Amino acid sequence: MRNTNSPANNIGVQYYATQLGIYDEMYATENKVLPYWERFMDALDSMGSETLEARRKEAQRLLRENGVTYNVYGDAQNLTRPWRLDPIPLLISSEEWLTIEIGLKQRAELLNLILKDIYGKQNLLKKGLLPADLIFAHDGFLRPCMELLKNQRHQLTLYSANLARGPKGRMWVLDDRTQAPSGSGYALENRTVMTRVLPDIFRETQVRRLAGFFKALRSGLAEIAHHNKEDPRIVILTPGPLNETYFEHAYLAAYLGFTLVQGDDLTVRDGRVWLKSLSGLQAVDVILRRVDDSFCDPLELRSNSQLGVAGLLDAVRRGNVAIANPLGSSVLENSGLLAFLPRLARYFLNEELKLPSVATWWCGQKRERDFVLQNLDNLVIKPINRNQDNHAVFGGLLSSKDKDQLRSQILAKPHFFIGQEQVSFSTLPAFVDHHIEARNAVLRTFTVASGGDYVVMSGGLTRIARQKDNFIVSNQAGGISKDTWVLAAEPDKPVSIWTQPKRNQLIEPVIEPLTSRAADNLFWVGRHIERVKTISRLLRSVLRKLRETLEFKDSVDNECLQVLLCALTQVTGTYPGFVKCDARLLESPQNELLSLAKDGQRKGSLTANIQAFVQSAFSIRDFWSQDTWRSVDTIQRRWQQRVLHNEITVEQLQANLDDLITGIVAFTGLTSESMTREAAWLMLDSGRRLERALTLIALLRSALASRHEDALQSQVLEAVLDSTDSLTIYQRRYRSYIQLPLVLELLLLDESHPRSLAYQLHQLSIHISALPRTKGNRHLSEEEQLILKAYTDLRLCNVLELTQVNENDGIYINLDQLLSNTTTLLWRLADVIAEAYFSHSQTSQLIMPITPEDEL
Amino acid sequence: MKYRITHTTLYHYSQSVGLCQNEARLQPRNFWQQQCHHSHFDIQPTPTNFNEWLDFFGNHVTYFAIQRPHTQLTVTAISEVTLFPRQNNLDLANRMPWEQARSLLQEIPMQGLSQSQYGQGQNQSQQQNQDQSVEILDARQYLLDSPMVTVTAELADYAQQSFLPNRPLVDVVHDLMQRIYKDFTYDPSFTTIATPLSDVLKFRRGVCQDFAHLAIGCLRAYNIAARYISGYVETLPEVGQQRLVGADASHAWFSVYIPNTGWLDFDPTNNTVPLDQHITLAWGRDYADVTPLKGIAFGGGQHTLSVSVDVLRLE
Repeated sequence: MRNTNSPANNIGVQYYATQLGIYDEMYATENKVLPYWERFMDALDSMGSETLEARRKEAQRLLRENGVTYNVYGDAQNLTRPWRLDPIPLLISSEEWLTIEIGLKQRAELLNLILKDIYGKQNLLKKGLLPADLIFAHDGFLRPCMELLKNQRHQLTLYSANLARGPKGRMWVLDDRTQAPSGSGYALENRTVMTRVLPDIFRETQVRRLAGFFKALRSGLAEIAHHNKEDPRIVILTPGPLNETYFEHAYLAAYLGFTLVQGDDLTVRDGRVWLKSLSGLQAVDVILRRVDDSFCDPLELRSNSQLGVAGLLDAVRRGNVAIANPLGSSVLENSGLLAFLPRLARYFLNEELKLPSVATWWCGQKRERDFVLQNLDNLVIKPINRNQDNHAVFGGLLSSKDKDQLRSQILAKPHFFIGQEQVSFSTLPAFVDHHIEARNAVLRTFTVASGGDYVVMSGGLTRIARQKDNFIVSNQAGGISKDTWVLAAEPDKPVSIWTQPKRNQLIEPVIEPLTSRAADNLFWVGRHIERVKTISRLLRSVLRKLRETLEFKDSVDNECLQVLLCALTQVTGTYPGFVKCDARLLESPQNELLSLAKDGQRKGSLTANIQAFVQSAFSIRDFWSQDTWRSVDTIQRRWQQRVLHNEITVEQLQANLDDLITGIVAFTGLTSESMTREAAWLMLDSGRRLERALTLIALLRSALASRHEDALQSQVLEAVLDSTDSLTIYQRRYRSYIQLPLVLELLLLDESHPRSLAYQLHQLSIHISALPRTKGNRHLSEEEQLILKAYTDLRLCNVLELTQVNENDGIYINLDQLLSNTTTLLWRLADVIAEAYFSHSQTSQLIMPITPEDEL
Repeated sequence: MKYRITHTTLYHYSQSVGLCQNEARLQPRNFWQQQCHHSHFDIQPTPTNFNEWLDFFGNHVTYFAIQRPHTQLTVTAISEVTLFPRQNNLDLANRMPWEQARSLLQEIPMQGLSQSQYGQGQNQSQQQNQDQSVEILDARQYLLDSPMVTVTAELADYAQQSFLPNRPLVDVVHDLMQRIYKDFTYDPSFTTIATPLSDVLKFRRGVCQDFAHLAIGCLRAYNIAARYISGYVETLPEVGQQRLVGADASHAWFSVYIPNTGWLDFDPTNNTVPLDQHITLAWGRDYADVTPLKGIAFGGGQHTLSVSVDVLRLE
């Protein structure tokens, strides 16, 4: 029940207090709001519910425009889910944070020592301090990684923990994340957004900054390099755009200045790891991995993995590459370890554990197993291996049949299970439906080994459950995030993650190598955006003509419409469409036109091309400036909102096409204005030029290769000029009745006209000669030969020859021939470029006997 | 007994392979039962980046890469090995009941030790104790599920008949081996590497790998430690026939841990206790740990593969 007495604009602080459970962050154990929360809540309260809601929306808008998403597995329709941010942060006092920080450092040191022991001497197992079965039965214990950890103090570079506060106000560790902890990028993005939506409150509440952590991360990663310690090449290895936290991989790559790669962007040769770039192989010194360890090397680890790099482990073995975290470190994510940490802390550090774990009983031991079996109702049962098939089970929620089944599973393989105390987390205020409500929260912290110590991010990623009284807090289950404000005793000075150059020191600019995958995606971004533009323009001309036909009922209009409809099918490649179709379809083409625009499942449709464009652009998210990405987002969102999610008529479609074209122009304008003229630009623009040439040819061939009656011809020519954005130029330049030779002169041969074929081929030949493979080579490469031939053949044409008609079939034979030959050359060119530059496309296969060799 | 083993694997690719990386476990390991005097590879085209090490189980591993385009790859491993057959009678005479063997393995052997040993000098009996403990610790990992062998109720059911109360473990395993030999049909056309154990059990067909995995699964179902051995077996021509060079193949069997005795091998495919004709290459939890040769090739299209093995008795 909501308090109906409260004024509409009240965020409900008073009411909140009456609804609390055991422990609330704002109230602690007292009956009074903690002073720093009080200040903060007063500020919010004076802002009022409506303003706060507006700020919350503003935050969502910023996150959305920045492309902050979280992918949800198994949901192909809504793969990318917008990141959700609650405008009320978690506040933590500086004294309390100090305790947490010390506890996290201790835990990181401890886990580091355990890791080194497990993959080294295994004294813990030999001395019985850790049961061997607990380690041997865990999927994260990778035997090929034995003895691979080099002699360095901190092997565990990154460490994250999920913390929650128990009923008595003490922080507990729920679990440890040690192989590829995610979330630091989201935490940073949350902070960025919060400082924009609550700037005043943020300034007044002295909040510790996050940049120090990222600076430590940069130097910590450089420290583990075995080669080039001064300036190591560091890459972020991502499983790819389908991964749940892909946004973060791209975001961190851009923020930290590392190259974002997927497994097949890398190769192992001569015992080293290399980045396949457009300008050849570049040695890689450090890999920050976001791929699970068993997927990292199909040769020595999981052989069916397509995400890794064959031979990676051998490069590690030779000490030629450093990986953070080292392969095999997921062994520490074994939930059974929690039961042994207090003992190990005493053994290694001679200290008690400062941040306790949730009470855990490993069933591999008899006494503990008996305890768990007797107390199933009160415990959470978890497998020691964390993966998608194994879930935590709340014993008390099981039917007696399921409970028996669980019991026999535990008895059959006891070492696979742990029992854990059910914890009730503390709550904190969240802004939901215009007022504040209590939500259970979990705080993820981030720690990195740097400069001989562990550095803890002063803040973290707080997540709350979506529903009230829900303890399951996870992004996959649709959780909401919060910023985490660690209060400072005095104002925290801003830190730059970049090193400050000495005065008057000139810095060599770094030219980031372009990976062949990124090149591939850029090329396709160019092709798709151009295709979207061509189709929109043509569709718009068709719709215009359709309206005229319906309005004036003129037979020439109708014939012209038919020519354009056929051209539309041919340019989009959506056969059979309007080609050789029955008369009824030509008479009422509306449904087919709407399908061409809207049907995302249909190859060649406008929507399919928009989706492909967005997908390619998202795959190289780290390339785009914030403004550019916003333009991508706008194109997609508007199209979705206004066209896909609406029942629209062809008339409404037309207005939306105008809007779409404006969006595309924004994107191309931004890229032209902001991209440096390096390999990335060459790839993007080559894709655009090639596609523009191909679609122009398809249009001209379809609409103009056969002779039409004069009246029809004139209409068709006008429509062609219109849909290629050349009508105004034609009228200004020739001031005459529209005729074929002049149109061909303008659209094919005029090199000063940015829409002409000659212009595209000329640009392509310039781009291609600037590509790394052809630079400085005395012989022409195949791609150079192809573009030279296409360009030269075109330049040798003259419009009079092109407009000679074959009297038998009424076809402009030379024109048709030229266009057809050029198409062939350009298709071949696309193939050759793909082969030469997008080498990641070569797939790998496992070779080993598939039938057993045997004898009797 | 001394042997020379020549093991050749030939790959043909329909398209060029630009890069391939390989991992071989083709060099016989040394242990008290055998000594490998000499072992070398002959690989065409010439590989680069040779690297050798001992894996977690102590097997010889060789890594090599071919970094130039090729459509054919030949890997030949030639090794000379002497076997020292032990007097199996003694081991086979071990009368420890399987229940006792099981509880010996179940106990956490270290705990008494760990209390006393920090920084203390050790007397001889402590040392012996510790050696045995290390051995048991090692054996314990062979009780657990492994990539290709997951213990199921079906496996336990099949094995039950052999696990009579108080039967000596050696007899249990012997009986199990004989039953597998009798109940299962040797059928190379039935299984591939990917055939799950449940199919082998259901259709009662398979090859040496399957039978070894099957026995291992049965034993682990009763908490007996069992491991997988990859190697070769000498085949003798039938009387009056010429010995065929290269007609042999690689082989697989299993080994059981008998407390106080050590590891004892059994070959369910041939229903024998290996003595002086089985040459061990490598051991592990199952086939996945000891695959003799595997690689990742980039490109290559379709590939075909042929293997020839020759086990020649030298003396």
